[in-house]
Amino acid sequence: MSNPSGIQQYGEQHGATRAPRGAARRAMAMLLAFVIAALAALLATPAAHAGAAIVTITSVQAAQASNDQFLGEQAPTPLTLPDDWSESRPRFDGLVRYRAEFDRPPGSEPNELLALYIERVCSNVEVFLNGQRIYSGGRMTEPVTRNCHYPQLVTLPSTLLQDQHNTLDLLVRGHALQRVATRQQAGRLSELRIGPQVLLAERQAARGFWNISAVQILAVAIGVLGIVMIVLGWMSRQASYFSYFGWLSLAWALMSLRVWWRDMPWDNGVMEFLFCTAFAPIVALAVQFLLSYADLRSRWIENALALQWVLLPVTLLLGGPARLFGLANAWYVVLAIEVLAAMALYLWVGRRHRRRDFWWMLGILGLACVLVVVELAVQYDLPWPEPLMELPLLQLGVPLLLLGIAARLLRVFARALQAAEASRSTLEHRVREATAEIEHNFAQLAEMRVEQVTEKERKRIAADLHDDLGAKLLTIVHTSESERISTLAREALEEMRLSVRGLTGKPMRLADALADWRAETVLRLSQANIEADWRGPTEETEQLLPARSFVQTTRILREAVSNIIKHSGASHCKVRCAISDRQFGLTVQDNGKGIPMELDGKLDRGHGMASMKHRAKQMQGQCLMESGPGYGTVIRLTLPL
Amino acid sequence: MNNILLLEDLPEIRTWLKVLINQVFPQSQIHEAARVHDALELVTAVKFSLALCDLGLPDGSGVDVVAALREQQPECQSVVVTIHDDDDHLFPALQAGAFGYLLKEQARELIAEQLKRMSQGEPPLSPSIARRVISHFASQTRQQERPQNMPHVALTDRENEVLLRVAKGFTLPEIGVQLNLSRHTIADYVKQIYRKLNVSSRAEAALEAQRLGLFRRN
Repeated sequence: MSNPSGIQQYGEQHGATRAPRGAARRAMAMLLAFVIAALAALLATPAAHAGAAIVTITSVQAAQASNDQFLGEQAPTPLTLPDDWSESRPRFDGLVRYRAEFDRPPGSEPNELLALYIERVCSNVEVFLNGQRIYSGGRMTEPVTRNCHYPQLVTLPSTLLQDQHNTLDLLVRGHALQRVATRQQAGRLSELRIGPQVLLAERQAARGFWNISAVQILAVAIGVLGIVMIVLGWMSRQASYFSYFGWLSLAWALMSLRVWWRDMPWDNGVMEFLFCTAFAPIVALAVQFLLSYADLRSRWIENALALQWVLLPVTLLLGGPARLFGLANAWYVVLAIEVLAAMALYLWVGRRHRRRDFWWMLGILGLACVLVVVELAVQYDLPWPEPLMELPLLQLGVPLLLLGIAARLLRVFARALQAAEASRSTLEHRVREATAEIEHNFAQLAEMRVEQVTEKERKRIAADLHDDLGAKLLTIVHTSESERISTLAREALEEMRLSVRGLTGKPMRLADALADWRAETVLRLSQANIEADWRGPTEETEQLLPARSFVQTTRILREAVSNIIKHSGASHCKVRCAISDRQFGLTVQDNGKGIPMELDGKLDRGHGMASMKHRAKQMQGQCLMESGPGYGTVIRLTLPL
Repeated sequence: MNNILLLEDLPEIRTWLKVLINQVFPQSQIHEAARVHDALELVTAVKFSLALCDLGLPDGSGVDVVAALREQQPECQSVVVTIHDDDDHLFPALQAGAFGYLLKEQARELIAEQLKRMSQGEPPLSPSIARRVISHFASQTRQQERPQNMPHVALTDRENEVLLRVAKGFTLPEIGVQLNLSRHTIADYVKQIYRKLNVSSRAEAALEAQRLGLFRRN
């Protein structure tokens, strides 16, 4: 009976929905605090140790090499770190040797453990101190170990370390910008820092946390989330956005896997190709998610996204590994435009339909928009604050945004669940009501059926009695020589009729019963030339008289009138009826000669007094008689109603 | 010479009634029938002035004979003679066109008296029959849709007044005194009530038949 809006309202007012809203707000506030704190910590870390005994080496001699032999064929040229290969040696792909000279950092103890810290070296590095190899980051030939995100800490053996004029050689394996999918993977060497191992280890840990651990944690988180969402989507088929979102999260988590494994079985070209290709399905899923979440669906867009999935790798293959970066960046722009368009479309629809989560999603998608623009700016080498550029912004930002959207989706799911629960309980209530009604109706029907059958049976018995017994009694009435016998037979016939009527007759209105009695009594008395004076209640009553009581009272009254006609010799008869809430009284009084007393003081039995009293008793009433010779007779009948 | 139809299946009662009728109407000729079928044949052959019909007969109900007489010989007065005193049995007969009823077990003199009165146009009317008539006309006026060709039968105020008083238990002579009307006028009202009951019942039956699709035009 209640309309859907009623349920909605119920949900609105229900306290339980407040809690998730508050929780979501708290979660968002924590997320913001986390991001701000992280950025602050990142910016503050170098400042905290600025005064420590750490030497920063920026000027080195560098030479390209074709093998890992220490002295190259090319004359070394001086240059300043950090060294971006895309600027210092464009299109070069291979090994570069760097040589730097340094003294023991001032203020350091002679036995203090010192270390070399390289914040960023891409893709791999080997370190030599005074001609001795002291460190290797992994494979230097294809497939090269991919160390771009891993800050390197190299402990300097004190036996090799001189107080002055130490020679530090770094052999760096890197890739040309043109051959990688993102700028972050291009050959590069950051500044070198030499100082106490303890301090530098701290730096490495902080940097490593943001570059590696945080990315890994978030990848695991959204991977699990993705699986949960896929299951949710599988359970509620109508809400396809759960599935899209789940697959999007899972795909992103899988793409982040490369942070885990530095040593892949494929060379750089394959790895970068796979990485770039992965963006096509991810963007397709993101666009599909936004569209389905906005309740939109377009076959055309679906087909275009599928086609793009094929087109992207094909163009990359056709362009070849040497043009990977340029093509990839062109695709990034296209993909970014697609995602931004989908976000704009979603927000437009959300605003038009006044969706409740419009502002939340506006915030999330706004941040996503900023992230995409920043990442594009990084790829196109636009000026940007150095610390932000050093962070894997996309790898950190996208999972956080996905978590934000997931919070929203889960709330939508919880609300739908709640609504379903509410409508289920409403439905259950209605089913209970309907069942009760059906049971009630069935009971009524069964009762009616019983009544019908009883009525039918009564009619059959009545018909049988009339046809058989009635006909025989009639014959006796009209053929008997004896007046007494025919009177008896007539009375028997009347008895039969009354009995049949009394079997299961319906209750009668008391007013109708009084009318019947009056008509019969007055007619009979007037036919016997006795003046009848009948007075009943003048006001209309709606009280009912059971069929049995009607029959019994009819018999009593008939008997009384018969007595008056036959025996009393009266000329006048007074009948009075009185009806109260609880009882009904009938008084019949004549002015005849009265009933003679028998010897034992009882009234004459021949006048049917005993049977009248007996009938009254059967109805829980009473029948009193007063009579005396010359005083007439009074019969008082009282019946409960 | 008056023809009287006597429809009764019990031979003893038929003989007894025949004697009774002969006493009341010495000039008449009595045609006896024990079955509905025989009675209907007689109705087509002989013109009757009075018909005494039992209700429960071996091959049907005397109501059919009453209806046939009402249809074919409107001048004939039909009286139901029955062992049933309840209006469930009597009312259909009255609706079919009977002008009164006699209860078989009544004493010879009483029946003779009633028969005489009925033949003089003074049919009996009990309170329960009056109540049935009242509710019959009440339900008729409630019916909204009534085809144009159906006669609308309504009781006059006086007829209604008589009916209401009978339903309250007053006898016809008493009502005559109360309304300051002669015995004959009251009897006319009752006769008129019976006639209108018959007409409106037939209209109702036709309407019902039409509604059920049973009605066919010749």
